Amino acid sequence: MSFIELKHINKKYENAERNSVTDFTLSIEEKEFIAFVGPSGCGKSTTLRMIAGFEDITGGDLYIDGVRVNETAPRDRGIAMVFQNYALYPHMTVEKNIAYGLMNMKVPAGEIKKKVDWAVKILGLEEFRYRKPKNLSGGQRQRVALGRAIVKNQKVFLMDEPLSNLDAKLRVSMRNEISRLHRELGTTTIYVTHDQVEAMTMADRIVIMKEGVMQQVGRPMELYEHPVNKFVAGFIGSPQMNFYPVVLEDNLLKFADGSRIAMPDVMLERLGDRRGEMIMGIRGEDIKLDEQNMELYQKDRQHAVVENTEVMGNENNLYFTFGGSLTVARVSKYEISQIGDAIDFVFSPLKMHFFDKDTEESILK
Amino acid sequence: MRTKSEKRFDWILTILLLVLSVFFLFPVVWMLANSFKTDAAITADMNTIAAFIPPVPGGGFFENYISILTNTNFLRYMLNTLFYAAILILCGIVVNGLAGYALAKIRFPFRERWVLLILLLQIVPMETIITIHFLMIAKVGLLNTVIGYILPMIVNPFNIFLFRQVFISLPDDVYEAAQLDFCSPVKYFFTMVLPMSKTVVATVSVFTFLNVWNDYLWPSLVFTSSDLLTAQIGLNSITSNDNTTMGQTLAVITMVTIPVIIIYSLFSKQIVEGVTSTGSKEG
Ligand SMILES: Nc1ncnc2c1ncn2[C@@H]1O[C@H](COP(=O)(O)OP(=O)(O)OP(=O)(O)O)[C@@H](O)[C@H]1O
Ligand SMILES: [Mg+2]
Repeated sequence: MSFIELKHINKKYENAERNSVTDFTLSIEEKEFIAFVGPSGCGKSTTLRMIAGFEDITGGDLYIDGVRVNETAPRDRGIAMVFQNYALYPHMTVEKNIAYGLMNMKVPAGEIKKKVDWAVKILGLEEFRYRKPKNLSGGQRQRVALGRAIVKNQKVFLMDEPLSNLDAKLRVSMRNEISRLHRELGTTTIYVTHDQVEAMTMADRIVIMKEGVMQQVGRPMELYEHPVNKFVAGFIGSPQMNFYPVVLEDNLLKFADGSRIAMPDVMLERLGDRRGEMIMGIRGEDIKLDEQNMELYQKDRQHAVVENTEVMGNENNLYFTFGGSLTVARVSKYEISQIGDAIDFVFSPLKMHFFDKDTEESILK
Repeated sequence: MRTKSEKRFDWILTILLLVLSVFFLFPVVWMLANSFKTDAAITADMNTIAAFIPPVPGGGFFENYISILTNTNFLRYMLNTLFYAAILILCGIVVNGLAGYALAKIRFPFRERWVLLILLLQIVPMETIITIHFLMIAKVGLLNTVIGYILPMIVNPFNIFLFRQVFISLPDDVYEAAQLDFCSPVKYFFTMVLPMSKTVVATVSVFTFLNVWNDYLWPSLVFTSSDLLTAQIGLNSITSNDNTTMGQTLAVITMVTIPVIIIYSLFSKQIVEGVTSTGSKEG
């Protein structure tokens, strides 16, 4: 049995019409960093709060460290939690906030001091030690919340969008801080976020949810390279994957605007005998404008007029209409064009994804 | 940015309020000034501006006060009242605070109905149920005891409502965090909820104090023993005594008034908030 086991977990709120979480099954190994991602309202917080014990589990079983804890009080589940709004004790100093749990656990004063010293040090809170939360910035508050979680030596950390109230720059540095803490402490962590970048950069494995149902679980690159359905493909990656309604006839891929691309044998093999209408998806970076690829896929060269650009230096996006859909191509700094420029490009056919047009499930083998 | 006419309005309002407050201050100043005088001096100064001016401090300046404090039980009555107020503030915060917390944060059937019911209780004037209180206290044999006096005064629907209004806006995640910090619900209430709601605790304390200090009817019904009487009753019995001079009467009244004035000036913010915070805005 894994360290944390969620078996067919269901959640239906008292006065809700439908489940907020449906048949959620997941095994989490010790020391793993798991991220739950998904759009707003998909049930991430609900799932996390069931693991914490703040919401009743209405169906299924939850095991932590081999013990079924469905009916166990939150305090007895061996968890520490970091909340989105920090949830600090406003009338206590930073030091007291961090020490409070230890004091209630009746840890000897000397040991508490040692632990608080340690937490304050690794979180860079030394100079704020005697301040109250209201005199701290958002990032500092979140570090106090982290401190409160790490001193208790709990088996599991639960974090519900801990960085969503911080500005972009601070988010990046806190992201690194949390990753570093996880590396150093090795505490099993479940991290909820709606930000796929956070999930991709921090997690060992990502769980993608939609409307209360787990869509896919896997390592970040696994989800990126092999999304099981159109939702996952569209959710992971920025800019979003381009999707086209296409028809595959023999080995020819036909777009809505009449463009055609010949599919290489490798892809045809992966498509098996699937032909006809389907959805093709391709990431912006797999639309190529460079010499080498242009030459390689010479026959399937496409043309378009640039409608918009996003130039950030390291990351440059060209927007144009192709195949009846707005398309974004991610190009190197040598391939930046102006709005109105006519460009030639090719799709990297081996990087295409195909989805059933009705179920939106991946049909690649 | 405030406009010119708004600023002018502010000025007019300020002057009007100043005039009004002088008007209300007259009797207080008169009382204070004359409480230091002999009856002869009071009569002599009557109808002149001197009636508002205290005598020059010197021998016998505090004569009226000293004679009241030495010849009557008044000091005792004041200390009694302070003691009752202190107990009632403590009990009131615990009982009404817990009730308010339950009504704000704990899910149970018909919770909103309960709130409404408690609000309705507020409409009932104290005077109409005081006989029932009296009969109940008499029946359990607690007449003329401190407990008999205090028990019916602890629960206060208005304070319950006040507490609820403030507690309802306390964030739930702090409670959850405290749970994970091994804080029991009771401990949470006393070490987190109350400190996080200092303003309402202060407001309720002030109201309770003023209530106890100014109450006349209930203590006059419960207490017969002179050891237990409150300041207001003491005031009445002293001033209705034929041997009490005019100056002594004014000295007693001054002593009863001073704590109220101090409380009002120290806690005017809380009092205003208490009166206005039955709406949705909390401080
Ligand atoms: N107390 C509640 N009572 C009824 N329904 C609820 C309750 N809390 C959440 N829900 C519903 O359950 C679903 C999942 O909510 P949840 O808060 O878990 O979403 P989330 O993935 O955390 O979203 P977000 O990114 O916005 O935080 C939503 O449809 C929400 O409306
Ligand atoms: Mg959420």
